[in-house]
Amino acid sequence: MHLSSRLLAIGAVAVLGLTAGACGGGDGDGGAAGEKQITIGLITKQETNPFWVTMREVAEATADEEHDVKLLTAAGNSDVDNRSQVAALQYMTARGADGILIAPADSKAIVPAIDKAREADVTVIAVDTPTQPRSAVDALFATDNRQAGELIGRYARAKADEQDIQPRIAMLELSPGITSGELRHDGFLTGFGIDDGDGRIVGSVNTEGDKAKGRRGMAQLLRENPEINVVYAVNEPAALGAAAALKAAGKSEGDVILVTVDGGCDAIKDGIRPGAIDATAQQYPENMAREGVKALVEAARRDEQPPRYLNTGVELIAGDSVQGVESRNTAFGVRNCWG
Amino acid sequence: MATASAVPAVPKRTRGRLVYPQLTIPFVLLILCFAAWGTAANLTDVMVGVFRSIFDMSNLQAALVQFAYYGAYFSLAIPAALINRRFGYKVGILTGLGLAALGGALFIPASKLLVYEFFLLALFVLAAGLSILETSANPFVIAMGPEDTATQRLNLAQAFNPLGANIGVLLGAVLILPHITSEAAKTIMSPEELRRTQEADLSLVLGPYVGIAMVLVVIWLLIFYRKMPTPAEQSQEAGDVKSGTLARLWRNPHYRYGVGAQFFNVAAQVSVWTFTILYAQDVVGIAPGDSGWYLQASLILFLVARFAMTYLLGIFRPTKLLFIMGALGVALCLIAMFSQNMVGLLAVVAISLSLSLMFPTIYGVALQGLGEDTKFGAAGLVMAILGGALIPLVHASLMDHVGAAFAFIVPAACLALVTCYAVFDLRTNREGGELVAEVPA
Repeated sequence: MHLSSRLLAIGAVAVLGLTAGACGGGDGDGGAAGEKQITIGLITKQETNPFWVTMREVAEATADEEHDVKLLTAAGNSDVDNRSQVAALQYMTARGADGILIAPADSKAIVPAIDKAREADVTVIAVDTPTQPRSAVDALFATDNRQAGELIGRYARAKADEQDIQPRIAMLELSPGITSGELRHDGFLTGFGIDDGDGRIVGSVNTEGDKAKGRRGMAQLLRENPEINVVYAVNEPAALGAAAALKAAGKSEGDVILVTVDGGCDAIKDGIRPGAIDATAQQYPENMAREGVKALVEAARRDEQPPRYLNTGVELIAGDSVQGVESRNTAFGVRNCWG
Repeated sequence: MATASAVPAVPKRTRGRLVYPQLTIPFVLLILCFAAWGTAANLTDVMVGVFRSIFDMSNLQAALVQFAYYGAYFSLAIPAALINRRFGYKVGILTGLGLAALGGALFIPASKLLVYEFFLLALFVLAAGLSILETSANPFVIAMGPEDTATQRLNLAQAFNPLGANIGVLLGAVLILPHITSEAAKTIMSPEELRRTQEADLSLVLGPYVGIAMVLVVIWLLIFYRKMPTPAEQSQEAGDVKSGTLARLWRNPHYRYGVGAQFFNVAAQVSVWTFTILYAQDVVGIAPGDSGWYLQASLILFLVARFAMTYLLGIFRPTKLLFIMGALGVALCLIAMFSQNMVGLLAVVAISLSLSLMFPTIYGVALQGLGEDTKFGAAGLVMAILGGALIPLVHASLMDHVGAAFAFIVPAACLALVTCYAVFDLRTNREGGELVAEVPA
């Protein structure tokens, strides 16, 4: 590594607040079980979203349970902060990390930095978000976003049929070109049993997964189509924004079927439980972190390559169940929510 | 007739002693028994949530744990009295210890078979043994020393029951709950991985119960091989119903309603303690590893409040305090129902404050002035423990339909009925003597 890039890495890491803890307590080469000490890195997108906080906490706990595993953690300043992630990758590689878990903020721009790490014999697993191309990493541990979308699509369709309504669907999307949003969108349509361009889709708006933009977008769609009775929201902040807009427009909870994806505690307790959101597809950052750390330990100690893809699970959480669609209740959602 | 031999003659120098000199070690062993059944009972409160998680079952199915436990306590109360009567207290204690140890040991095959019903059977046998043990140990303790220190001796022994109860919850909170595999982790497991996980989680359950069984076996051996002069039986046992007793008790509304109040008090207590952990997890989202501490806090509050209530009962009319605490309990249940957050959870914990005085107060008020019918009447009150077997099932069933918070309408209704009993007593002018002190079973 060049001196300049090393300095850049160290400086960026200082800004990021990168922390290193000797989890497991060992400081020598030999662990309690006679195994070598290994170093693992976790790079998330940011530290304010509880999704990433949960991922870090579970990674720390898992590293703590393993013998002689040192965990380095770093996070960007936002969901699109690629520069900080590049610096963290360089820093961790320089520190001799055996493996790194990374949630890419920019699926394409991060690839050269990942290539360098892998050239230095570091196993890299993408968590939550795939790289482009997916072959840029050794493995991807993530939610099956298409499956998540399909679950809420099937639920929304069954509920609409149960209520005997003619669906007028509003689509609150993420942003164009972002894989996770596109997969959820496709899954929802499949689950609902319709295709893009179907006449029942009466409006669509990009929210960037933001609550305020979700609210504005929903309000705009309602002005254009007051008869909207089914809403797909790409994530829970957008769904909570949509719920607020629906309430402001005088719609009661039973008037509109609102479904989304994520499984955070705020949405489960303040959205699903009171009935403002009908269902969400809950994903599990704890599974990404735990299975990711374990896979990197196995790769370092026993030279076992991680599976190319691990579906980290998704469950449909619904306030009211509908016939023909398997779902978990709100209590399950609260017990397993993140944040 | 009973084979129990007479209590040794009391030499003058033993008067004022807590225990006859030759019975000191048996007394210590019996104290351990008091702690043991407290441990087992409250460890069972933790088990409802643990089994729900391990077997991925409904709340109603999980609550069968309490049905098995308190059902056994109820079912064995009369057989236990008959064993004591026929064979004496030592045999009763050994039978109870042996059966309870067998119940603990049955957890071993149950955890190998991975069948929930087998665990219910193990719990039933364990509780059956403890029921016999409790029925035998209370009068035995009374007879282990001079009459003038009987109450002191019984109070000392019973003080170890809440200690054991706290140990039971502590075992669950430290050894089991934090190590149970998370439900999220199970969502991505193959059937084979799930089976292995179930085995691993059930081995966590196994530890405390096998530990309790081993302690009981040691106590059994120590009591079996120790020559223990067993005390004479009381002149009137539960089975000796004097003519007209039942009719007289039935005609006495304070007693009749008192049995009902005790039924609903025990029901409320078991419901609240059983579902505290589940409220913490299902409503507030507390991690399983931390949720047990809220039940621990409830028991500690219950213990401390019981001392405080003892003092207050000396100042205020008991049913006036019962009314205040009953109404407070109802209010706390309503808070738990409608504040579905940490405030609601703290309200659930605080219900133990209102529960703390209920059993002894209802016991005393219901038996007041019964005269020669007191002992038989007491047996009826103790059998109100059936409320702990039945009402948690109602609570759990409601949880399955309306959620953990709104299901607290069940203890709210129970405590409201207890409050009504207090109102009934307050509005009635009674002639009667001192309140009867609580002497369980």
